[in-house]
Amino acid sequence: MLRRETWKQFDFLLFGAVIILSIFGVAMIRSAIAGNEVLAELVTRQVIYVFISFGLIIVLSLIDYRYWSSLARLLYGVAIFSLLMIYIFGTALFGSARWLDTGLILIQPSELAKIIMIIVLANFFAQTRERPRNFRWVISSFLLTFGVVLWILLQPNLSTSIVIIVIWLSMLWVSGLPVKYLWILAGVGTVFVILLLALLFSGAKIPFIQPYQLERIATFLFPDPNARHGNTYNVEQALVSIGSGGLFGQGYGNSTQVQLRFLKVRHTDFIFSAMASEFGFVGTVIVILLLVFVILRCFRAAALAADPFGALLAYGFGVLLFFQMAVNIGVNLNVIPVTGLTLPFISYGGSSMVSLAIGIGLVESVILRRKSFE
Amino acid sequence: MEYRRSDSFWFEHWRLISVMVLVVLIAGFYIYKLFDYQVVEGAKFLEQAEENRTTRISVPTQRGIIYDRNDYVLARNIASYNVVITPAELPGDPSAGGDPRKLNTDLDENVQAVYRRLSALIGVPVSAGEINEETVRLFSPCRTELGIMQIVYIADTNAPYAPMRIKCNIEPELAMKIRARSSELPGVGIEVESVRDYPTGSLTSTIIGFLGPIPAVDEAYYRNKGFVPGRDKVGYAGIEATMQDILGGKNGERLVEVDVSGKELRNLTTPVDPVPGNNIRLTIDTRLQNAAQEALVGEINFWNNWFHETRSSNGVVIAMNPKTGEILALVNYPTYENNRMARFIPGDYYNQLVNDPWKPLFNHAISAEHPPGSVFKMPTAIGALNEGVVTPEQKLNDPGQITVIERNLLNEPVRPFTYVCWKPEGHGEMNWLEGVANSCDVYFYKIGGGYAPDGVSGLGPWRLAEYAMALGYGQRTGIELPGEASGLIPNPDWKRRNLGESWLPGDTYIASMGQGYILATPLQVLVSAAILANDGKYMQPTLIHDILDSEGNVVKPFEPKLKWDITKDPVIKVYDENNLLTGETKTVQPWVVQLAKEGMRLVVTEGTAKKVWENSPVQNSAGKTGTAEYCDNIAREKNLCNRGSWPTHSWYFGYAPYDDPEIAVVAFVYNGGEGASVAAPIVRNVIESYFRLKAFDSGQETGTP
Repeated sequence: MLRRETWKQFDFLLFGAVIILSIFGVAMIRSAIAGNEVLAELVTRQVIYVFISFGLIIVLSLIDYRYWSSLARLLYGVAIFSLLMIYIFGTALFGSARWLDTGLILIQPSELAKIIMIIVLANFFAQTRERPRNFRWVISSFLLTFGVVLWILLQPNLSTSIVIIVIWLSMLWVSGLPVKYLWILAGVGTVFVILLLALLFSGAKIPFIQPYQLERIATFLFPDPNARHGNTYNVEQALVSIGSGGLFGQGYGNSTQVQLRFLKVRHTDFIFSAMASEFGFVGTVIVILLLVFVILRCFRAAALAADPFGALLAYGFGVLLFFQMAVNIGVNLNVIPVTGLTLPFISYGGSSMVSLAIGIGLVESVILRRKSFE
Repeated sequence: MEYRRSDSFWFEHWRLISVMVLVVLIAGFYIYKLFDYQVVEGAKFLEQAEENRTTRISVPTQRGIIYDRNDYVLARNIASYNVVITPAELPGDPSAGGDPRKLNTDLDENVQAVYRRLSALIGVPVSAGEINEETVRLFSPCRTELGIMQIVYIADTNAPYAPMRIKCNIEPELAMKIRARSSELPGVGIEVESVRDYPTGSLTSTIIGFLGPIPAVDEAYYRNKGFVPGRDKVGYAGIEATMQDILGGKNGERLVEVDVSGKELRNLTTPVDPVPGNNIRLTIDTRLQNAAQEALVGEINFWNNWFHETRSSNGVVIAMNPKTGEILALVNYPTYENNRMARFIPGDYYNQLVNDPWKPLFNHAISAEHPPGSVFKMPTAIGALNEGVVTPEQKLNDPGQITVIERNLLNEPVRPFTYVCWKPEGHGEMNWLEGVANSCDVYFYKIGGGYAPDGVSGLGPWRLAEYAMALGYGQRTGIELPGEASGLIPNPDWKRRNLGESWLPGDTYIASMGQGYILATPLQVLVSAAILANDGKYMQPTLIHDILDSEGNVVKPFEPKLKWDITKDPVIKVYDENNLLTGETKTVQPWVVQLAKEGMRLVVTEGTAKKVWENSPVQNSAGKTGTAEYCDNIAREKNLCNRGSWPTHSWYFGYAPYDDPEIAVVAFVYNGGEGASVAAPIVRNVIESYFRLKAFDSGQETGTP
């Protein structure tokens, strides 16, 4: 157990911000279900998840994060195993098998895989710290990442795969990836995107990419102004919802766009729009600033960490939060094609909430055990 | 710790800082975008959000009712029952996940049961036809071959909270039955639609007209007035068309809040109730209308049977009160059945009407222009007297024909031309009254065109036109029906301008007896007779007696409208000897009108119509026959246009009593032959019916006044 004075190190500001965001999330979900009886139970569920999450944060901050370093191989195995289980016991929802029914709750293994991959990659880069930053180093870290990403891609779940790839890239970067490699990666990426677009217009079947994903890109690039449903409609209504919020919003539970259900997927992907509509520019900026605060607080933990593993852990989680936030808000503001990434702490989702809590717990654990300034 | 610390970081300082900068930049960019959407463009988006949630609902109003003068209903609204399904109220999920191919198999069992029960009641199959882009695009409720399932699928994907018509115009008993079984048929409802009904149908269709959908060209106009294209109907013909603004009423309006599925949540403003249209009481007497129709059709059929061939397929009868201008009956033959247009205009029936050579949709009474023939001798007769061309006592000789010398163009050689009387042996010496009574053609040639051997100068074309116009010819009467024609009263200018030829003395000769270029509608002929019968007063012919609001209070009472009085209003323009306008005007002297009435009385007692009226119970009528030669495209096709023996239209106008007229009637039968034998009996029949009805209304049994 930690000594009493160690609690002084606990990042109460980070924890507080997370609590505020999570509770705000519950309130927002309650408003976003807009009287839909089927969805009403989601509020209760989210409340339970939030409480479980608070517990998880405390428990995980008590456990020395270095312990997970030694379990990295095992966790890697667990991630692959649980992803493979989907193909045997998986439950298909909305067109792709992403869920594992444990009998009690539905688990989304890919959500847990994100956290596990942060641990695994942090462990890898901490251990290879002294190795030369050569091509082999890049490839071996990529293979490690791809060992898990492959199964997520096959679900298919492109967005989570991209999240993990981004975490890998960000860790490469911070661990000292030579800038010339960055150019090579950028070059490879550009070629890849061009190929993808070419295939998109040729209409050929591309492995790992679903027709609906191509459609999303197509509707993002060339929206159909007359669509009454689908992604164009959703994004359009999201913009109308955001814009109608004005400076101070229409008030909690009062946005016509939300309450009369013109805005779709209000409690998950488009919760940002619902929030912007009801709380306006001022309220939304406060939430964005809180999220940015949480991210920067993770980076602070990374800077103060006692060892490279802890630093990479906190940094990796900060990147995860940042990327999810950036993509989700980007989709809401129609600067990025529609993807299924949720807004951290606010969107509805048990697995997402729990894995975010694990992440915060790990960051708190790092900060609790930071190096002391003499 | 075995790791060596560099700086206070485990990473290169700038690499972490760059990521943090990226975070701040992107957050900043998003806040900038947010500011743009919410503050800069906020008002625009708020407007769109308002547009999303508000819907204007037009509450249909009731069209005004049309009565005849005795409050007999001629046009009304009746309830029509439609079976509707509101997809959102069906048990379960009717669209089965939105896959139309799965409709048959994946449907909720409860919904299937509702469909089966309903199908058994109304006979629409549960499933028929296929859902694809084509069928959805062409889909039109009430007129579809699709089954219940397919119709509901279309409804569900468009507006799940809006009732969709499954079957239209079902029997009221069936509607009651479906309502009674509503607990077994969740989602199924009965919609009551207001449909126009014409109890008198084809008898009055010429006058009443019919309704149709708002035409695309007028959409903006009617939308401004609150009408809903596609739902509301407007008048297409007859009184329904001309009185559209009075009958139409004003739709009510509700501003409601709706959710994304179109479900109404609440009124946003106080609803505006619909204002029902005003009711109209016509001047028509349906009983007389019926008598007139029977007289016309009966007479036409009699002669067609007599000749064992279809001589005539077209005729008109109009009856009017000459003192007030009220039209009591207006009959066209052939006509059409306006009840067939009540719900929608059926294509095959409409095409049949349009392609009929006798044009049943055409209002012959006011729109057909024919040579009036001898009924037009009245303007010539009064003109000649008023201008002093002849005196009433002056006798002119009718040897049966006269010959005049004329030429078409100045450099053409002169030719003699012969003009004959209808009576080849001639009428002998005739004074003015005898000329009118016997409709003596030669007498009218002489007073109209002049005849130098007798020292008669003639009225001439310019002055003849003035008297014709004073009697209502050559201009629209302004009756409240669409498509009225103005007829044609020619003068030398007209001929030069339109035909490029000079006016000949012969043109005046035949114009004097209503032939040649002269054209008139049956209504104009009636009006000309009524003006004389009414001592020179031209009463505006009207179909509208009064206008009532929806509660029956008179909004606009009937007031006879005097257009002009030829004995008081100076409607005759004065020409000098060179046929130039002097700028002066004059009236017709009252004694001329009185003499004209005497002449028309003499037609019945001594003249061309004597035989027709001999045995009539009505012995106080006056009138004028007309047998108008014509040669139109129909006659030409049948090779009937042989010089000297052209086919003839049959005309007659009459009024009674001759000294205090209360009814004036005109009859016209296309290719009917002699006016005295075909048209006159029709007029006699109508006038007799009028007095019979009058006696009946006043409680007397005998019809003779």
